[in-house]
Amino acid sequence: MYLTARLAQSFKLRSAGVVYALALIVGLLTLLSAAQGKPFYLSVLNVQNILDQSSMIAIMAIFMTLVLITGSFDLSVGSVAALSGATALSLLDGYGPVVATAAAIAIGLVSGVVNGLLVEKVGVNAFIVTLGTCTAIRGLVLALLDGHAVSPKSTFYYDIMSARPTLPVWAVLLIALALAGFGGYRAFTAKTWTLASVVLVGLGVLLALLGIFVPDLFREVTAVWVLLVLLIGSALYLRFTTMGRYLYATGANTEAARLSGINTSRYKIGVFIAMSLACSLVGLIFAGKFNSMDPNSLSGTELTVIAAAVLGGTSLQGGSGYTTKSVLGALILFTLSNGFNILNLGSNYQYFIQGIVLVAAATVYTVAGRQKKHQAVMVEEPISA
Amino acid sequence: MTQPLSEPILVFDDVYKTFDGVNYPLRGVHLTVRPGVVHALIGSNGAGKSVLLKLINGTHTRSKGTVKWLGKEVHWTSPGEAIAAGISTVPQHAQVAPTMSVLDNVFLGRPGKLFNASRLRAELDALMARIGYELNPDATVDELSVGECQMVSLMQALARGGKLLLLDEPTASLTAHEREVVFEAVRTLAAPGIAFVYVSHFLDEILDLADEVTVLRDGQVTLEASREDVTKSSLVSAMLGKELCQSENLVPELSPDGPAVLSVSELAPLGNLGPFSFDVKAGEIVGIAGLLGSGRTELLSAIYGEDPKATGTASIGGVETARAGAANAVRAGMALVPEDRNRSGLIGEWSIADNASLAYLPQLSKRGLFPIPLAQRERAEEAKAYLDIRCSSIDQPVNELSGGNAQKVVFAKWVPGTAKLLMLDDPTVGIDVGAKAELLQLVKDFAKQGKAVLMVSSEFEELLSTCHRIIVVAKGRIVAQMQAWETDLHEVTELASGSAGQPQARRELTCI
Repeated sequence: MYLTARLAQSFKLRSAGVVYALALIVGLLTLLSAAQGKPFYLSVLNVQNILDQSSMIAIMAIFMTLVLITGSFDLSVGSVAALSGATALSLLDGYGPVVATAAAIAIGLVSGVVNGLLVEKVGVNAFIVTLGTCTAIRGLVLALLDGHAVSPKSTFYYDIMSARPTLPVWAVLLIALALAGFGGYRAFTAKTWTLASVVLVGLGVLLALLGIFVPDLFREVTAVWVLLVLLIGSALYLRFTTMGRYLYATGANTEAARLSGINTSRYKIGVFIAMSLACSLVGLIFAGKFNSMDPNSLSGTELTVIAAAVLGGTSLQGGSGYTTKSVLGALILFTLSNGFNILNLGSNYQYFIQGIVLVAAATVYTVAGRQKKHQAVMVEEPISA
Repeated sequence: MTQPLSEPILVFDDVYKTFDGVNYPLRGVHLTVRPGVVHALIGSNGAGKSVLLKLINGTHTRSKGTVKWLGKEVHWTSPGEAIAAGISTVPQHAQVAPTMSVLDNVFLGRPGKLFNASRLRAELDALMARIGYELNPDATVDELSVGECQMVSLMQALARGGKLLLLDEPTASLTAHEREVVFEAVRTLAAPGIAFVYVSHFLDEILDLADEVTVLRDGQVTLEASREDVTKSSLVSAMLGKELCQSENLVPELSPDGPAVLSVSELAPLGNLGPFSFDVKAGEIVGIAGLLGSGRTELLSAIYGEDPKATGTASIGGVETARAGAANAVRAGMALVPEDRNRSGLIGEWSIADNASLAYLPQLSKRGLFPIPLAQRERAEEAKAYLDIRCSSIDQPVNELSGGNAQKVVFAKWVPGTAKLLMLDDPTVGIDVGAKAELLQLVKDFAKQGKAVLMVSSEFEELLSTCHRIIVVAKGRIVAQMQAWETDLHEVTELASGSAGQPQARRELTCI
């Protein structure tokens, strides 16, 4: 009874909308490309492409979700990533990879601390602060590169990022078995099937099938594996640790959380630092992918990242959001652009469609959320005068 | 100043009001307001003052009886009609647009399409000359003090051409100086014939300002008299009723003689209230009796470490908590049930189980890091049974619960638990009688376990029946400290209703 209720809940539009949207778009594109006689849309090669293209935005979307959960906002992500990448590439030939990487990380750390302190300790509006740091840091990128692209001779980052580490079939099956086994064990010891157990077994079975029938899917570029690790880590962090609970509590009602003894400032500052460090990482991935960076690289990404999180149902009011769904949101955006390329529709209408999808998603979430609130009000007892 | 022979401007005759057909917050109220008279309206919480005010200003419509305005019976159904007739309300918290100027605010909502600044400026000057009070018309309202905002609100009401002004606790948040400014304006305006209905908890103020007094208790008028015929003591008696005053101390309990759990020394919330010095012993329930704006909430917040401007010390088990933040206070063993449960006590969208386990989450987690859902649910079930929380299940979101049950969930964050000191800020506001009794019993049980309780309430009966010791605060100062059995409702009400500041010389206060 409990399980079916939870299952029904998780299939509702508000909870699973992003999954339906992705399935719908992928299905539509598959049919359209088949109708036009193009190669199979869901081919391993194309799926690898989409994952590769979306990995950087998806990584930032994970951390943007954490920022949004606490009720904050970060617009500086594109600039921080660009400065980190450009600095690393500029230092790579002269000082070697260790110094270059350390410099990139230091940039992330400093900008995260600056954003976090200004927003939380001084109390300046997050939108204004990060709009300012976004502009200022982009200015530093322009000053550093002085109008030229930087392309080092060393291929240190390129080698890492262009590699395609492969997960062998036996490892995939082992992980699948572990997942399904753990889910079954949980259900067995608790003597009931909870949603988590069902999901675990389901994931295990899916993974086993993929591992057997499309083993090439487990041959991805480094960035995709990085994304996967961060995604699993962040989802577990949010779902299974006290800090994760506190993060949600901080965003849902800062005052109630603080008075319950939670150090809300620490979380609000912490997410800015984590966000900027993730940007440094994305900067290094970008640097590695192209082994070159020009002054306008990665500009405008902040909006795509926030769009991905919003598509994933993250509330800008704070207190709710899931990193998994934000990553799915990023996949939607890149599936669309990839689909436009495949169907030869050109990129002219790409932004138009992306914008429509974003507004449509936000509308659906708002309306669905309002219906839920309405129901809640109906249940409330009448207040006596 | 009294003009007893002038025709009444507003008459309430045998007026009843009900919202549900069963309970009557007002039962047969008579009220006569004359021009040029400051008519005070007093009564304890729930006596029907605010319902009566809302009947006068058209927010509510009476259920039975007659209301006459300028001699004619009226049936207002909206505030707009009352305003058009000449009744203006100055609310307790000045409702002003903070980013706009004084001039803009005073004439906010004036009908007409054109904004003729020079004409309005002249009008405002005349208005300020009339009440003998000066403000820079171009000052932005958020630069003003609370008292000045209150004056803007008053001028706004005057600019609407009111014949009757309703002042709802206009001085609750004002300093002594600002209060005098408001008083002076009221006196100046009453002289040429404007009538005032003045609601206040502060009896000293009433005695200082009012010409006539109406006292409400349980929806009925218990006293209607002119200023010369009343004393502070007779007002308190009329507010409380005789029978209540006597049957006070059900169980006269002495404070237990335990070690001090909380020690407060020279603590000055916001740096300018207090200073407060007192102890709360193990097993003891100490009540802070004070009205809204008496500094009671600020005191709790300073003890809890949430007031960076506080000076002095507060310590629990040797740990200093003042200025150190709530997280430190909670670690040291404090627990707070805040005044506004929805804003600062609960996470509305979260379930009962999640709310109830928020404060002690590390204790319900593996190695303090990984919450154990089963342990969380067990705690919530335990709290649900112990506190008798009525809900469909512990998975129900708390914003679906009634006031009393929601408050129990706030308790469930801390009780049962390891806190050594429970601080309650007006814990029974907006809660039905049954739940109230249960909550107070819980507080007593908590103290019986050898823990300390510091409880703030504006319902002094509740404090007298629950606490061992009462500390009365007024206008940010301790005015008395006594064992609950030594005192009664009459005395506590009288002490808390006094304004501690001495009435200052009036001449020098007329202008700023």
